[in-house]
Amino acid sequence: MAHSEIVSGVLLEDVALSLEELARACDVEPGWVVRHVQAGLLGGEVSVQVESWRFFSGDLQRARRLLSIERDFEANEELAALVVDLADEVRRLKARLHALGAQ
Amino acid sequence: MEYKDYYQALGVDKNASAEDIKKAYRKLVRKYHPDVSKAADADQKTKEINEAYGVLGDAEKRAAYDELGRGRRAGQEFHPPPDWGAGFDFEGGEAEDFFSDLFAHVGRRARPAGGAYRMRGEDIHASIGIDLADAYRGVTRTVTLRVPERDEHGRVLTRDRTLDVAIPKGVVPGQQLRLSGQGHPGAGGAGAGDLFLEIAFNPDPRYRIEGRNVFETVPVAPWEAALGAQIDVPTPSGQVEVSVPAGSQSGRKLRLKGRGIPGQPAGDLYLMLEVVLPPAASDKARELYLAMARDMAFNPRQRMGA
Repeated sequence: MAHSEIVSGVLLEDVALSLEELARACDVEPGWVVRHVQAGLLGGEVSVQVESWRFFSGDLQRARRLLSIERDFEANEELAALVVDLADEVRRLKARLHALGAQ
Repeated sequence: MEYKDYYQALGVDKNASAEDIKKAYRKLVRKYHPDVSKAADADQKTKEINEAYGVLGDAEKRAAYDELGRGRRAGQEFHPPPDWGAGFDFEGGEAEDFFSDLFAHVGRRARPAGGAYRMRGEDIHASIGIDLADAYRGVTRTVTLRVPERDEHGRVLTRDRTLDVAIPKGVVPGQQLRLSGQGHPGAGGAGAGDLFLEIAFNPDPRYRIEGRNVFETVPVAPWEAALGAQIDVPTPSGQVEVSVPAGSQSGRKLRLKGRGIPGQPAGDLYLMLEVVLPPAASDKARELYLAMARDMAFNPRQRMGA
C-alpha cells in the first residue's frame, strides 16, 4: 500500500557534512577523505582541525566522482583528480560553446 | 519488475572471469563516458553499464544474480527475494537502476547476525530533475522508493513508498538535498541511512544558467530594436514588460537585477536581444525592403574598410 508523506531536506550549502558524514555518504573510511583533502584533491581546509572540516554539495559530488574513477580503473588518486578536473573543463567549454550557438 | 541481462549489457559470456568482466566494463565505460562520447544514448548506456557492473563486478552479488537468473530471459517478470534492502526510483525516470539496488545488501548478509549486531542503513544517492521555474518558487516533487516485502502467502512483492519531497526555493544545479533517515533501513535496530538528491535542471533551450544568473534570448523586430519599444517577455518568474532602448543591436544584453534564481543575493536575469528580420515574402514586404535600401544610406560593412 502506497502512502505519502511530505519530507523536507536540507541543502548541504545550509547544513554542511562533517568528515564522518561525507565518508559515510561515499561509503569510504574517513581516512580516504583525510588523505584526499591533505593532498589538495578535495575541498576542506587543511589548516583547520579535522573535526571542523565541513563539506558542501560540490565536495560530495567530487568525492563520489573521484572514488568511481579510482575504483573503476584502479587509478592513482592524482590521476583520478586530473580526470575529474579535465571532465569539468570539458563540461564548462561545452556549455560555453552551447551558449555561443554551436552544437 | 523486468529481469535484465547484465552479461549482455557488458557484452561478456556468462562464464566470463572476473578479470574479463572488469576489462569489458572499463572498455565500455570509457567508450560511453558522457563527457567524451558522441553517441546520442551515452548517458543511458553509461547507466546500464554501471548498473550491470555494480552487480557482476562483485563476486557475491554476481552469485546471487546468477542464482536468480537461472532459466530467465531479459524482459521477463521477476520478483526479488526479501531482505535485499530497499530499492528506489523516481517519477520521471531519473533513476531506474532499481534492480541493481536490490543487490546492494547482498554482501551484507554474510555478516554476523548476533543480537549485538547493529548497522546503520546505507545512504542512497540520486538526482532529481526540476524545471527552472520550480527553482524560482520551490516545488514539491514525488519520489517513489520501492521496498521489497513479503505478503501473507510468503511471496515477495515490492511496495512503493512515495515521498513528497519539498525542494526549496532558490536551488541551483549540482546542489545536494539531504533527506535524513530516508535511505536504506538499518540492521539490528540501527537508524536508516540518508537520501541525497542532487538537483538537476531539465533542459530548456530558452534559458542558460550560470550560477544564479539566467540568460534568455529575446527576439525583437528591427523597428523595435531601432526605435525602442516596450515589449512583453515571458521569463521564469512570469511575464515582464521590458523597455528595449532605441538603437539596440543583436547581442545587446538587458540586465534585470534580482530576477535570476532567488537567493542571498538573488541572481540577475539577462535578456539577450536578437534582431529577427521579417521575411520578404510578399510584394509589400519586398517594397519596404527596397525602399530602405534606396532611402537609407547604410553600409553594414563600413568598418571592414570596404
